[in-house]
Amino acid sequence: MKNKQYSVKVYECSVDDEAEFKAFFDTNYTLFRDHLIVINGYLSDSIKEYLESKTLIFLNNMTLPKGRTRKALEDELKAQQREIDIDRLVAESQMASLSDRLQNNLTVLNERIRSGRELNIEGDLLLLNRVNSGATIYIKGNLIITQLVEGAIRCDGNFMMLTSSPKANVIFHGVEVENSFLKDKLNRVELKNNEIVITPVFKKEINWVS
Amino acid sequence: MGIVIAVISGKGGVGKTTAVANIGLGVAMNDKTCMVVDFDIGQRNLDMILGLENRVVYDMVQVMDGEASVKQALIKSKVHPNLHFLAASQSKDKSVLSSKKVQKLITELKESYDYVILDSPAGIESGFEHTIEFADAAIVVVNPEVSSIRDADRAIGILDSKSQRVKDGGDVAKYLIINRIVADMVQSGEMLRSEDILDILSIKLVGKVPEDPVVIDASNQGKPVILNKNSIAGQAYIRVSSRLCGKKVEIKNVELSDSGIFKRLRGIFR
Repeated sequence: MKNKQYSVKVYECSVDDEAEFKAFFDTNYTLFRDHLIVINGYLSDSIKEYLESKTLIFLNNMTLPKGRTRKALEDELKAQQREIDIDRLVAESQMASLSDRLQNNLTVLNERIRSGRELNIEGDLLLLNRVNSGATIYIKGNLIITQLVEGAIRCDGNFMMLTSSPKANVIFHGVEVENSFLKDKLNRVELKNNEIVITPVFKKEINWVS
Repeated sequence: MGIVIAVISGKGGVGKTTAVANIGLGVAMNDKTCMVVDFDIGQRNLDMILGLENRVVYDMVQVMDGEASVKQALIKSKVHPNLHFLAASQSKDKSVLSSKKVQKLITELKESYDYVILDSPAGIESGFEHTIEFADAAIVVVNPEVSSIRDADRAIGILDSKSQRVKDGGDVAKYLIINRIVADMVQSGEMLRSEDILDILSIKLVGKVPEDPVVIDASNQGKPVILNKNSIAGQAYIRVSSRLCGKKVEIKNVELSDSGIFKRLRGIFR
């Protein structure tokens, strides 16, 4: 596609009195030669012939796009810029809140979870103390417990890490994890392709007889 | 200004009331004034164990309701002048207690005694909560068995959340007494070891009390076992009381004492 853009001078008028019109165009012919004439209202054949004989280019009954002033253009540009800025700010704040949620989703607890206590946690949990018998932890995210667990754990996250816990009652995604599988010093329980995989993180320490 | 100690356990029958009677007497023998209050409303026991059964005129509920003054209601021990006792009501139930009344009574007692020891009811309902609410410290009594330890764990959890001192941003001191330790069973691995109990509860140990058949007789007679110098439990309570009064006494490893040479000799002659 080839295209060109012109800025054309337009003279818009209407014909009230044909003689007066012709006289006006006769006197200002040199000026109107470079103009596009737009005639609103009725255009008689005699006027048409007159304009063609003068080789003036004309249009009849045409609504033309109104030109805008420089100030209006600038205002429009500014408004557009402002909208872009707002969009950017909104996106930035959304990103910030998202990363905030991702980063501050981790709860770190250093207190002993005593019997009868129920923890309900939406995000992830790092627990640096024991879970005593009779306590329950419900958790939507991932879970790491670095000490002995004797209570109940209900975890729906991607993974959890537990120490060797022969007395714990662990349910991962609705499936009970046998305590005999959690035999190493630190065990990772993961959900991989709808299968629960338990891998040792630290092997059991061997105490040599001294 | 004295210190208020609540004696709690969670589970019943672990020897709370016996511990209160003995510690109260032991503290009194260390030249401190001591008031023991029975908070087990409706199931009064402490009066019998202290041997003050027939001396009860007014009870603690009547004091709280203003029907009697503390001076009228308190019972002086026959054994030691420093030990005073406030009985629980046997006819009313736990619903008569309210935080305001308890606070008023405890504040009043705190002003005139060095030690105020509260005997908490078993369980964790309102009576227990009122006992711990205004206590400065708590003594947790456990037996070396899993059910007692789990209940104690729960009681400590409630203590840590409902105590007025914790609500004010402070901390309640918690001490552990392991009661009724049978040395032979610990040795053979049938009974939980103290280290395991401390691992689970993680509070300071203030004493280990061995199982002693003399305790039952002492309770029936109304003469706390601490008065019996030959009793191993009595000696343990003497050590506990001294520790509570700020004396440095080594924790005696009662798990080992049973296999001592005299015991073995006695076993041969039996």
